[in-house]
Amino acid sequence: MTGMKKERKPHIPRVLRDPYLLAGAFMTLTALLAVLVGLFWTPYSTTAMDAAERFHAPSWRHLFGTDNFGRDIFSRVMKGAGTTIFISSLVVLFSASLGIVTGAVTGYFGGVVDEIVMRFIDAVNGFPSILLALVMISILNSGRHNLILALGIVFTPSFARIVRSEFIRFRDADYISRARLMGVGKLRILFVHILPNVFSTFWVSVMIGFNNGILAESGMSFLGIGVKPPDASLGNMLSDAQGYLMKAPWYALFTGLSIVWIVLGFSLLSEGIRRNAGEVSDER
Amino acid sequence: MNDKVFVQKSMIQIEDLSVSFGSTDAVKNVSLEIAKGEILGMVGESGSGKSVTALTLMGLTAESAKITSGRVCFDGVTLAEAGKPRDRALYREYQGSRMSMVFQEPMTSLNPTQKVGSQVEEMLKLHTTLDRNERRDRVAESFAAVGLKDPKLLLDQYPHQLSGGMRQRVMIAMAVILHPDLIVADEPTTALDVTIQNQIISLLREINRRENNAMLFITHDLNLARRLCHRIAVMKDGRVVECAGTEEIFGAPKEEYTRSLIRAVPSRVNAVPGGRKEAQSRGAVYGADGAGADGRQPVLEVHDLHVYYPESAKGFPGRKQRKCVVSGADFVLYPGEVLGLVGESGCGKSSLSKAILGMNREIKGTVKHHSTRPQMVFQDPYSSLNPSKTVGWLLMEPLRAAGALDKNLLMSGQEMEERAREMLARVGLDERYMSRRPSQLSGGQRQRVSIGQALITRPGLVIADEPVSALDVTLQAQILDLMRRLQREMQAAYLFISHDINVVYCMSDRIMVMKDGKIIEQGETEEVFANPKEEYTKALLKESYTG
Repeated sequence: MTGMKKERKPHIPRVLRDPYLLAGAFMTLTALLAVLVGLFWTPYSTTAMDAAERFHAPSWRHLFGTDNFGRDIFSRVMKGAGTTIFISSLVVLFSASLGIVTGAVTGYFGGVVDEIVMRFIDAVNGFPSILLALVMISILNSGRHNLILALGIVFTPSFARIVRSEFIRFRDADYISRARLMGVGKLRILFVHILPNVFSTFWVSVMIGFNNGILAESGMSFLGIGVKPPDASLGNMLSDAQGYLMKAPWYALFTGLSIVWIVLGFSLLSEGIRRNAGEVSDER
Repeated sequence: MNDKVFVQKSMIQIEDLSVSFGSTDAVKNVSLEIAKGEILGMVGESGSGKSVTALTLMGLTAESAKITSGRVCFDGVTLAEAGKPRDRALYREYQGSRMSMVFQEPMTSLNPTQKVGSQVEEMLKLHTTLDRNERRDRVAESFAAVGLKDPKLLLDQYPHQLSGGMRQRVMIAMAVILHPDLIVADEPTTALDVTIQNQIISLLREINRRENNAMLFITHDLNLARRLCHRIAVMKDGRVVECAGTEEIFGAPKEEYTRSLIRAVPSRVNAVPGGRKEAQSRGAVYGADGAGADGRQPVLEVHDLHVYYPESAKGFPGRKQRKCVVSGADFVLYPGEVLGLVGESGCGKSSLSKAILGMNREIKGTVKHHSTRPQMVFQDPYSSLNPSKTVGWLLMEPLRAAGALDKNLLMSGQEMEERAREMLARVGLDERYMSRRPSQLSGGQRQRVSIGQALITRPGLVIADEPVSALDVTLQAQILDLMRRLQREMQAAYLFISHDINVVYCMSDRIMVMKDGKIIEQGETEEVFANPKEEYTKALLKESYTG
């Protein structure tokens, strides 16, 4: 009897009972699921217009309602969120890689190169990042690739700074001195000996960076210099919705809520992971 | 007053005290007494329960600590008892004014944002009715009493402006300013170097004589306890193993554990058997490394070496000032030889070793290596292993690096793993440790891995910079033993650096004494110890003499 009871009630690790982690994982997974499905299938076409279906309020037929061209908002959110997440991921990948390299080199070697690069980074940081991206896009022309490039460059300094300070911390550690004495090559010291120690700190900023990327992409597309219609992105949808705030409030509401859902879910997830990181590694 | 004296046998009575944290017992049935004017030494390895006993006595244990049996009496008053909650109000009457404590870390036990004068003054503010000027005078007086120079000036200085020794003096001043009946000193000298250590010990002895108070001196170092304490209690696993007069403990220890502790102390009298003597005879046998024509080619030649440290280099690139930290070092090191380098902290020992290894390029003079890739063992076992790697990876990395530099040394993964396993066994760890990370190892185990990592490529020369200073005595003896054994097996030459002349004596064939950046004396170990030429060497020997 007691044995059976035990089986029915398996021990749940404390990690899985953390509300941050649970809520974050749920929100992020649902969002990702919607996006993944959206890649192959959406309930309605995201581009076909239908004058008869204009401005339908949310119903079982159209979960989030329809927009000014009679397109299903839920389908467009699925596609748009995909675009936004895709762009944000690439932005983070680009800026984090660039940040790791510049941060590692400047932090480890120091000296004149460090001074020059860091002053340049200070200068970049001096401008609001959105403004700087705006200027770059106006030079480069708008579009997906240029958006990724511009945001990637704008995001790099924050990563570089974090990586640099960590490398400064570790470059004088006894075990690094010893690696040098063993004759380990410089690149290997940088990326094999030091980098793994930096990751725990770096991971947090990558997750924050991802959220910032989503907000930045939405912001840029909202201003009309990111993803161009008819391609959907949460930003340009929100921009369209603005014009029908009175007539079709659900348009702006559900698009905006989607952004909140993704960003909040991911923040909660990363916070939950961070809080439980110590415990998980202890259990190992 | 008088009838109190006859009632009261001792100042402190600890009767059958047991303290536990949750399910673990930190202190088990400890009974101790300290009389007025007596210094009781409490000796044991880390984790033996000495600090918990002291903290319980002071009423400073964490909330999770429970007294499960016995009681603590102070001057006839029961301060704490099993089964009763802690009486904070009662303790507050005693803490500070009648009993006080000196901690180990002079760096962290003072508030860095406050002037030292006002921190000590705080004690007077809490416990006396003196006004500000009187208080400042009292503080200055007590600063003078603990041997601090310019006490008036010191009042307005911040902790970071003082040296470690001075800070510990300030802590002691704070502890004695109200003339308490009991002073608990928890490893007060562990973070300080020998010379300062001796000054602090003399100071504590003097205070004890002057104030005629009771003192509980906690240490892991038997030598220190011997020099200061009237009686010694040896603790192990939360129990008092043996408690007797100092001479009795050293002269006729009853317990095996006490004997092993005494043996573990590196001392000239109890020179560890199988240690140096063999090492010397080995000095004549040269390994395959000493391939020179007559086998007497040194592994290291240092000639007239000056080492500088740049001062205020930033901001004024043209006006670099250099401070000379080592001047005119001149010595050779032969294969298979251990050369000891002794001196107090700040004398330039570490700068010298860094210069030899090319980690500091601000040098003048010549350093010639005749061995490939000299390795180093550092003092701090916690920072000398990369925390993100496994022990196996760490042991193989020197082999990988060597292979990358020299195609002849290239090894297959399997060969490297074999070598790593072999090395792991040599340093006394079993195979399971291959996949552990440094955070899962104790300090002693880490130092073993460090040593293995340094020796795995069979370098001709290893520089060991205070490799045992961060470990407690029993571990110290084990690690020294290990280093000696490996040195013999692998025919390496060591430059062995330590502030502890006894440790150096145990290890070295030859010895160099360093002071203020100069090597003032060098010679065969026995010779230097038997008739030191320099005053400073004599002083060092005298200070550390263990009888």
